[in-house]
Amino acid sequence: MTEPSAPPVLATRFLARLLPANVREPFLGDLEEGFHDVLASRGPRAARRWYWGEALRGALARPPQSAFVPNASRGDGPVTTAFADVRFALRLVRRHHGFTALVVFILAVGIGATTAIFSAVYPILLAPLPYPHADRLVTFEERGKDGSRAGIGFATVKDVADMNRSFATVAAMTSWQAALTGRATPQLLEGEHVSSTFFATLGVHPALGRDFTADEDRPGAPRVLILTDALWRGRFGGDSAIVGTPVTLDGIVFTVIGVMPAGFANVLAPNAQIWTPLRYDVSLPYACRTCHHVSAIARLKPGVSAAAAAADLNAISARLVAEHPTEYEAVGMVVPRLQDQVTNGVRPALLAVLGAVTLLLLISCANVANLLLARAAGRRAEFAVRAALGAGRGRVIRQLLAESVVLTGAGGVLGIAVAMAGVRGLIAIAPPGLPRTDAIGVSGPVLGFAVVVVTVIAMICGVIPAWHAMRADLYAGVKQSGRRSIGNGQAMRAALVVSEVALASMLLVGSGLLVRSMVRLFAVSPGFDETNRLTMQIQTTGRAFDDSAYTLRYFDRVLAGVSALPGVRSAALTSQLPLSGDYDSYGVHVESKPRANPDQDPNAFRYAVTAGYFETMRIPLRRGRLLTPRDRGDQPAVAVINESFARKVWPNEDPIGQRVRLGAADKGAWRTIVGIVGDVKQLSLSGSQSDAVYVPEAQWPYVDGAMSLVVQTQGDAAALTAAVRSATWAVDKDQPIVRVATLESLASQTEAQRHFTLLLFTAFAAAALVLAAAGVYGVLSGTVTDRLAEIGVRAALGASRRDILTMIVSRGLALSALGTGLGLAGALALSRLMESLLFGVGRGDGVTYGTVAILLALVAAAASWLPAWHAAGVDPVSVLRTE
Amino acid sequence: MPGRLGELEQLVLLALVRLGDDAYGVTVRREIARCTGRPASFGTIYATLARLEDKGLVDSWLGDPTPLRGGRRKKYFRVRPAGKVALRAYLQALRTMTRGLAPSWPVP
Repeated sequence: MTEPSAPPVLATRFLARLLPANVREPFLGDLEEGFHDVLASRGPRAARRWYWGEALRGALARPPQSAFVPNASRGDGPVTTAFADVRFALRLVRRHHGFTALVVFILAVGIGATTAIFSAVYPILLAPLPYPHADRLVTFEERGKDGSRAGIGFATVKDVADMNRSFATVAAMTSWQAALTGRATPQLLEGEHVSSTFFATLGVHPALGRDFTADEDRPGAPRVLILTDALWRGRFGGDSAIVGTPVTLDGIVFTVIGVMPAGFANVLAPNAQIWTPLRYDVSLPYACRTCHHVSAIARLKPGVSAAAAAADLNAISARLVAEHPTEYEAVGMVVPRLQDQVTNGVRPALLAVLGAVTLLLLISCANVANLLLARAAGRRAEFAVRAALGAGRGRVIRQLLAESVVLTGAGGVLGIAVAMAGVRGLIAIAPPGLPRTDAIGVSGPVLGFAVVVVTVIAMICGVIPAWHAMRADLYAGVKQSGRRSIGNGQAMRAALVVSEVALASMLLVGSGLLVRSMVRLFAVSPGFDETNRLTMQIQTTGRAFDDSAYTLRYFDRVLAGVSALPGVRSAALTSQLPLSGDYDSYGVHVESKPRANPDQDPNAFRYAVTAGYFETMRIPLRRGRLLTPRDRGDQPAVAVINESFARKVWPNEDPIGQRVRLGAADKGAWRTIVGIVGDVKQLSLSGSQSDAVYVPEAQWPYVDGAMSLVVQTQGDAAALTAAVRSATWAVDKDQPIVRVATLESLASQTEAQRHFTLLLFTAFAAAALVLAAAGVYGVLSGTVTDRLAEIGVRAALGASRRDILTMIVSRGLALSALGTGLGLAGALALSRLMESLLFGVGRGDGVTYGTVAILLALVAAAASWLPAWHAAGVDPVSVLRTE
Repeated sequence: MPGRLGELEQLVLLALVRLGDDAYGVTVRREIARCTGRPASFGTIYATLARLEDKGLVDSWLGDPTPLRGGRRKKYFRVRPAGKVALRAYLQALRTMTRGLAPSWPVP
């Protein structure tokens, strides 16, 4: 910081660099003297402001003629000449402010959108995960029969850990939910059971306390706990005495041994707040090879590639399958990088968005190049005169480059502002499922990207017109100084406008296909009525709930309490709720159709529900009967199946009266099918597989500890939230309630990601349309200016206004038709990349392509109208006089 | 014939005449601001002075450094005979052009 009584050092240095050597010293001396005058009369702030103003004006003031010529003997460096160029460029910018505003606007939109989207995509797709040597982190699981991923059991992870030669460390983990009790309100925490090597594998250590030890990861070891920084601060007041403190979870006492650093991000389980050792041993029944409820990560040894590790694991798999042939589906392991694992689900959407951004940036570039070209064509005479006066080709090209740098610089600065606003907007509308949104921000690498983009645009836009202008015959240029020529420049600009329209039509097709998918998707019935339905999940916690009868009684009382509330029409409980993310699937074995290998029997979603569930959800009965309160535990076991399952298993028979077994093929009750109901979308609206078996909750051997309450209300479902919650807590105040939502919001949330992509694409399409219109308008205005003389002659020879209008508009339409044709062909080829995002429309959907073609034709006609109108108004006399 | 003078060139030349031996950037600027109410920036003034010097109408020399200027020297300017000729020609033209305007267009 400069002291207040001295002139700003930065401004002085800046000026010292720019001023020609012969005035540098006295000029700075005068400025300093003036600074002291202002300081004495108006104070230090005013003085500094004055000094900066003088310095900037000093740098940009119209220099004496001699300063234009670099003079080595005077000490003028290349910087001084460069600033002469910039000064000249700034003067041009000021003179052509309309042109400047248009170029800067186009660049700001292009650069801003690109940077914002790149900022969002970078941490998700490209940035390394926030762990040391994250490229060495992999996950692994068994390979299924069809090459798919088949999950992994603890015993297999253990064998891999013992037998492999590729990994430095291996860890297994499984998700865990536990209720924190003994404090004000019960809080349900998300967490993980992990191997003691988990944090070491990630390469992260607790900020407070210590990591797990191998001794704590054995059956019967004392219970220990590590917390996130957020939980420690939020629930435990950030007290560092937490280490060593006992905490009660689900009625079991854990000792807190550590707190993770604030910046720690657990990418595979972003919601996890607590970790405790797995405490598994291969002798445990749930540690078996087919107990696929764990997942595994590993850190590669330095120098070992993921491919080498995969080969190593395949060899191990071959040995394991030979030893335990019945416990594996197939030989082989899948070893994806952790990064790929994390981005797996969103990759197609984000890549499509990245593609759209690239298209938009290309459109902006083409547009700006087009405008600069149009102007360069108009300035051919100026270049010719300069060259005739002895300006070298390099000198003129440098001058044009300086102009481009000034324009793109301004566009870039404004674009970064647009990007900052855009990033904030993107985070605000990002769907909850988007990974790593917390890491999104305009960051260093992203800014770097923007700078590279700006520089590239500057080079392209600067060099093309310069090269173009200087290639032309200078003599012809001088000769034609009064007239504008039609030729190469026109062809090139026409080519640019065609490519612009082509790019825009590709973007429009992309967004059109997405819009049509969304419309189709929301027209899909989920199979139940989601209006005025409130839902919340009750997660029972505490030792008392180990007793099934107690749990059943508890849920009965909750249901009775909720049903009695005013405004509630009906209420029911289900073990899994459609479109909520629940996934509970069982093998279904049919008594009359036994298979040699029961593992090949069909799978279906299992719903344990209370009587009244179908009525509350309004799932229609197709045949037979629904479940009733009489289907109690001491009554014959029954089941209701859905239509698609009935069709699949009994294509030509009546399923009613048939008996099925869920889970194990050789034990458990045979359940008689008593009814068939309509299909329900369980995983997502776009998903197709939804075979289902419904059983009465009271007839399920292990009563589900977590049940979703569904309440049909008379009016607005959300308004009853508090009443339903307190009716539940009136039964037992210690039971956590989670996932409170209306069924409507659940249904729209499952499509949030598609919706987000759609929103982005629509924004792109709008921007692309505007830019394409600007391009068509720009090139036609140029044409009209170039052809004024010709138009004047035509008008003089009797062409009507209408003839001239038609001539110009048809040229605009011809250009855009060519561009649209090329663009639609390109879109057809590229749409393969976004096929996984489409639903219910083919990538060659005729309606979309047709609509885009018509839309672009309309836009082109509108954009051509203004220049055409201008041309039609040409007064032949005044034009011919200037010839 | 030194060519015609631009407006700012006229003002700067007149300022140099009025200031005599004490004409350098700060005083020239102050004199112009005081007489015309026009706040010209140093950049403009230096550019004008450089142009006048190029035309051979003024010449300059470096003075002594002073602490108030951060130890930098002043660049003094003085009107050369050619400058005086040009300035006279200009003033002559101005006088001729304004003569006789008095009743309808009083010039102070």
